[in-house]
Amino acid sequence: MSENTKKTGIRARIVPIVLFALAAVLIVTSIAGYVLQNTPSSVASLDKMQTAAVLHAASEGLINSIAQQARADKLSELRKDKNFRKRGLDEVNAICDGAMEEARAEAEKLYANPVVQDQAALESVITAFEKALAESNGLSVAERAVYADIYVQLVDNTSDWKFASAESADDAAVLSELGKTAPDLLKAENAHLAGGFVRLARDMAVKQQAKEDAELQNQLLTTLATAIPDWTEYTGLDQAALWDKLTAEAPELKNGEKFKDALLKDAADRIAAAEKGETLPAPAESEAGAETVSETQADYQYFTATEALNREEEAEKAAYESLNTQLVAIIPDLSTLNSKLQNTLRENIEKVLWLEDSGFSSRYNTYMAHQAAADAGDAWKLRLASLAQPFLLAGIAVLLLGLVVFFWKPLTSRFGVPRTIIALFFVYLCLLAELYDISVRMMMGNVLERMTMYGVLVLAMMPGIQCGIGLNMGMTIGCISGLLGIVLALQFNMVGFTALLFACVCGAVVSVPLGWAYSKLLNRMKGSEMTISTYVGFSFVSLMCIGWMMLPFNNPKIVWLLSGKGLRVTHSLLGSFAHLLDNFLAFKVFGIKVPTGGLLFLCLCCLAVWLFSRSRLGIAMTAAGSNPRFAEASGINVNRMRTVGTVLSTVIAAVGIVIYSQAFGYAQLYTAPRQLGFIASSAILIGGATVSKAKVSHVLIGVFLFEGVLVFGQQIANSVVAGGGLSEVMRIMISNGIILYALTQSGGGRRA
Amino acid sequence: MANEYILEMNHITKVYGSNAVLKDVSLKIRPGEIHALLGENGAGKSTLMNVLFGMPVIHSTGGFQGEVLFDGQKVNIASPMDAMEKGIGMVHQEFMLIPGFNVTDNIKLNREITKPWAISKVLGKDLEFLDTKAMAQDARKALDDVGMSIEEYTLVSGLPIGHMQFIEIAREIDKSGMKLLVFDEPTAVLTESEAQQLLNVMKSIADKGIAIIFITHRLDEVMNVADSVTILRDGQLVSSFAKEDTSPEKLAALMIGRGDESVVQVEKRKEEVTGGIAMTIRNLWVNMPGEMDKGINLDVREGEILGIGGLAGQGKIGIPNGIMGLYEAVGDVELFGEKLPLGNAGAALRMGLAMVSEDRRGVGLLLDQSIENNIAFTAMQVKGDFMNGFLRQKDTRAIRKYAEDMIKELDIRCTSPAQPVGTLSGGNQQKVCVARALALKPKFLFVSEPTRGIDIGAKQLVLETLVRLNREQKMTIVMVSSELQELRSICDRIAIVAEGKVVDILKVDASDTAFGLAMSGVKSKEGESA
Repeated sequence: MSENTKKTGIRARIVPIVLFALAAVLIVTSIAGYVLQNTPSSVASLDKMQTAAVLHAASEGLINSIAQQARADKLSELRKDKNFRKRGLDEVNAICDGAMEEARAEAEKLYANPVVQDQAALESVITAFEKALAESNGLSVAERAVYADIYVQLVDNTSDWKFASAESADDAAVLSELGKTAPDLLKAENAHLAGGFVRLARDMAVKQQAKEDAELQNQLLTTLATAIPDWTEYTGLDQAALWDKLTAEAPELKNGEKFKDALLKDAADRIAAAEKGETLPAPAESEAGAETVSETQADYQYFTATEALNREEEAEKAAYESLNTQLVAIIPDLSTLNSKLQNTLRENIEKVLWLEDSGFSSRYNTYMAHQAAADAGDAWKLRLASLAQPFLLAGIAVLLLGLVVFFWKPLTSRFGVPRTIIALFFVYLCLLAELYDISVRMMMGNVLERMTMYGVLVLAMMPGIQCGIGLNMGMTIGCISGLLGIVLALQFNMVGFTALLFACVCGAVVSVPLGWAYSKLLNRMKGSEMTISTYVGFSFVSLMCIGWMMLPFNNPKIVWLLSGKGLRVTHSLLGSFAHLLDNFLAFKVFGIKVPTGGLLFLCLCCLAVWLFSRSRLGIAMTAAGSNPRFAEASGINVNRMRTVGTVLSTVIAAVGIVIYSQAFGYAQLYTAPRQLGFIASSAILIGGATVSKAKVSHVLIGVFLFEGVLVFGQQIANSVVAGGGLSEVMRIMISNGIILYALTQSGGGRRA
Repeated sequence: MANEYILEMNHITKVYGSNAVLKDVSLKIRPGEIHALLGENGAGKSTLMNVLFGMPVIHSTGGFQGEVLFDGQKVNIASPMDAMEKGIGMVHQEFMLIPGFNVTDNIKLNREITKPWAISKVLGKDLEFLDTKAMAQDARKALDDVGMSIEEYTLVSGLPIGHMQFIEIAREIDKSGMKLLVFDEPTAVLTESEAQQLLNVMKSIADKGIAIIFITHRLDEVMNVADSVTILRDGQLVSSFAKEDTSPEKLAALMIGRGDESVVQVEKRKEEVTGGIAMTIRNLWVNMPGEMDKGINLDVREGEILGIGGLAGQGKIGIPNGIMGLYEAVGDVELFGEKLPLGNAGAALRMGLAMVSEDRRGVGLLLDQSIENNIAFTAMQVKGDFMNGFLRQKDTRAIRKYAEDMIKELDIRCTSPAQPVGTLSGGNQQKVCVARALALKPKFLFVSEPTRGIDIGAKQLVLETLVRLNREQKMTIVMVSSELQELRSICDRIAIVAEGKVVDILKVDASDTAFGLAMSGVKSKEGESA
C-alpha cells in the first residue's frame, strides 16, 4: 500500500521535474544569448551587418525600379502593336512579367553585390545619418504625442463647435475657448500648435454646421411633404406668392429662409407631379441617431512643428545627402532614379536604420531580412543572441507551468481550478505581449479603466449569490433602471456631478420596486432561479425596447430627430458626465493613467457591501442563502432575506450601469444591456465565487482577471491573427465557459 | 418434499465495515405458519430480510456468512428477481403500484397473459396481444382471496391507501408457486377495521400453505395471528418460541432488554422534581413527513429532564420540531404560562426556547462557516448580541472570546475557532450545536437525538453537559432519543410516543415490559395516571 502511494508520488513529481529542467535549459540559453548580445565582437558584427543591409536596401531599390521600368516599357511597346487587343490579359501579363524578370536578373548581375571601396567612410556616414534620424524622430514623436493628447481631449470633450464659426469669432477668441477644454494648449511651449488647432476648430464648426443644415433641410422637406394635403391649389403662383402661402400653411418653414430655394424647388416639383395626378414620396429619414462609437484617432493634418524640430530635420536631410553621395559613389546608377523612387529609397534606408525598439533581435531580424548575412563564424552566435528574449520568455512560461503543476493541490484547494488556470493564462498573455512588443504598461492602463467600468456591475452579483438566488442574470432590470436615470438626466439637460448623482439616485429609486417584484417571482420559483432570472432579464430588455420608444421624452438631443419621439439607441454623454469620475483626481504613473475617481468609487461601493455583510441583516441574509433551513430554525424569514438580497443586487446594478456609462462615454439603450449579466457572472466566478458563496475579494480579483485576460487577449489575438472579431469570440468563449464550469461545480440539484 | 421447514436461515452474520449488524442469527419457518419477527429499530430485521431477498446492498458490501435453506435445498439468492422466481414474495411498506394503471394491470404487471397472432409468431413473443379477459379473471380471483370487493378495472390512482395495500397483497398471492410471503409492517397505515381484515387475509393465506413472515411493532396483532415469534435485539437472536409460550408483557421485556451498563454515570436526584409546570402541550398535531404527531398531550415540569422515547417514525421527533416552528403544527402550547405561537421560530426563540436539532448537518449548522460564526449566529439574530459600533457591525472580538470559552467548556476538538464546522467530526459538530443553543441562554432546551452518529466519548460528554446545565443552571430540558438506555441514564421521567400520541409516561426505573408495551402503543399499570 505504502509502496503504491510512493510510486504514484514519484510519477506525480516527474512532470514538474521535467518542466523545471526544460525551464533551466531555456533560461541558461537565453542568458548565454544576452551575454552574446553585449560582447564587442557581436556588436561589431551587427554594425557590419547594418552597413551591408543599407547597401542591400539601396541596391534592391535600384533593381526593383529597373525591373518595374522594364515591365512598363514592355507594356507600352505592346500597346503600340495593333494586335494588342487580340491578346488576352493573362498573355499580356505573362509577357510583361517575363520582361521584368529578365531585366531584374540583368540588374542583379550588375548591382547585387556592390563593391565598396571605402568601408570606413560608408560606415561613418551611415552612423551620422542614424544619429540625426534618431534625434529628429525622437523629437517628432514627442511633439506629436503632445499634439495627439490635445487633439483627443478637444474632440472627445467638445460637443458644440459653434464658437469657432467664421463670422462669430477671431482666432484669439477661438483659441481661448479651446483652452477651456484643453488647458495644455495655452502653455507657452505649445504656442506653435495654436494655429493648427484654430484651423481644426473652424473646420469642425463648418462640418457641424453642414450636418445640422442637412438635418434641418431634411426636416423641412419632410414638413413640406406632409403639411400640404393638396398641391393642385398652388399651381400657377409665382415664387414669392408660393412662399407666402406655404409659410402660412406650415409656419415652421419660416425657420428655413436659408433653404428657401431648395424648398421652393421641391414645392415646384410636387406641384408639377400633382398636376399629373402623382404624389412624390417624403424624403427618407436620416439616421442621425445611429452613431457608431469608436476611439478618437488624432488627425495630423493640423500639426505644426517647432523650430527645434525643423532644425533637426534639416540636419537629418544633410546627413542623408552625404550618405546618398557615398552610395552613388558605390552604385553610380542610383542617381538616375526619379524623385519618387528617391523618396522610396530613403524610406527603405530609414526603415533599416530607424528601429523604434532597437533591441538586438529586432535589429538582427531586420538586417537578416535585407540579406545581410553575418560572417560564417559569428552567424550562430548572432542567431542565438537574437533569440535570447523568446528563450527567456519561454523559460519563464515553462517554469511557471512547472510550479503550478508542482503546487497543484495546495493551489487549487486555495484558489480553485478556474482561478488558477485563468491567472496562469493571464501571466502567459503578459509574456506573449512582451514577445509581440505590445506595451504591457499601456494595456495595464486599459485594464484599470475597464475595472472601474465593470467593477460595480460585478459587485451587483454578490448580494444575489449571498442571499441564495445564485447568479442574478436579472440584474439587467437594475441596469435598465440606471439607464432610465441617465436619460432623465439628459432630458433635463443636467451636467457634471449633478447629472451623475441624479442618474444614480433616480436609477436606484426606480430599481427598488422592480427588484422587489422580481424577488417575489423568484421566491415562488425556488430551485430554478437561474432559469427564471435569465428569462426575466431577457424579457425585461425586450419589454423596454418598446418602452424606450413609448416613453414621453422630448428633449431633441435624445429623441429621434424627425419623429420627435422615441429615444435614440446611443447617447453621447459628452458635455454631460462622460469620464467624470475617471478623470477626477486622475494621474499618470509609469505612463499608466490611473482613473482615481472611478477606483475610489468602486472601493467605496465594495466597502459599503462589506460593511453590510457584517451587519446583523447581512449575516442573516448570507445564512438564508447558504442554508435556508438553518436560517429558518434561527427565526429568520428566508423569503424576506432573499428579497433584501435581490433588491440590493438590482440597486447596485442600477448604480453600476451609470458608472459603466460614464466610463464608456456613451449610454446605450435597447438590446445593449442584455449581455451584461453574463459578463458580470463570469467575472465574479473567475474571482473565486461559486453560485452559492461570494466575497468582496472575489469581485475585485475577478474583475481584474477577467478584464485583464480580455484586454491582453484582444490585443494579442489581433497581432497573431489578422482581422478583428477574434477577440469577441474569445470573450464569449471565456465568459460562457466559466459560467458552465461553475454550474457543473455547483452540483445541479443540490440546492433543490 | 416432506421438509419440516420451508425456510431455514442458519447462523447468519452480516458486517458493514467494522460494525456487525447481524450476529449469528437463525430463523426457521414451517410451511403455512405465520411467524412474527419483532425488534426495535436497528435490531437487524431489515438486514435479515435484505439477506433473504439477495438485495444488492448486501452483495456490494461483502456478502454475509451463514447459509440459507429454502424448501430443504441450500440456495444462493443472487437478486430480488431470483427470490421471486423461487417463490418468495414481499408486501412492501411503501406501495409499489403504478397510479395510472388499473387494478388488473397492476396485479399482472410483468406477468401478463398473452395470446399469439400472425405477426407475433414471426417477430416474437413481445408483440403478442394481452389476453385481458383471462387477466381480469385472475385478478378477480386474487381480489376475492384478499376480501376486496372493488372492480378489477378501477384505476389505482384514486383508491384509498388501505385498498392499495390489499392490491399489493393480491399481486403477491396471484403469483403461482408462492411459498413464502414477507409482510413489512403492513398495518402501519391502515385503519383498525382494515387492519383486522388484513389479519384475516393473512390467516387465510397461511391456511393455503403459504408461510408468512410478519414484521410489526403491534404486540396485540402478534398475539392475534402469529403461530411463532422470533425476537431480535442489537443484531442478535434473543429468543424464538411458539406463541402459546408467551405473553405480550414477556415479548415487550425481551424486545427492550436492560443493557449491561448505563451510558453515563450520573448521580441520581435525591428527591423528585416537584416544581411548577414549565410547558403544557395540549392536542398538538405536527405535519412532519415520517414523524407525524396526532394529538400530543404532555406536561413538562420546571427543572426536570424529560425524555421522549419511542420507535422511529412514531412522531417523537415531530414534537420539538413542531413547537419550534420548523414544521406546520396546530395545538395549544404554553411556556411558563404564556401562549406560544406555533409556526414562528423567531417567537419561540425570543421566549427563551432553544433547540439542538436532530438534523445536524441540514438544520443545525452552516457547514462552510467557522465555529465561532455558527455559535454566535442565532444569539446575534434573535437577541442582537455580539454587535457593536456605530454601524452595528458584528463584534468579532466578543464572538471570538465567547467561542473560545465554549470550546474549552465543551471540549470541542478543533484547530481554532475559525475552523469551518464542516471539517469537524460528528461529535464536535454536535457540541457546536449545543454551544449555539447555549449562547441564547435559554430557559428551556429541546435536544433532539443528541447522540445520533457520534462516538462513545463524545456521547458521554454531550450527556454530561446536559445534566450539568440542568443541575447548575436549573435549565429545563426535553431530550428526544431513540436510545432508551440513554434516556434512562439521565432523565427524570420518560414519555413514550407511539403513532403520534403520548402512550405513557414512565419513571426511569420502570420495567422493560412497561417500556416495551408502551412502544407498541399499550399503556401499562406502571405509568403515570395522566
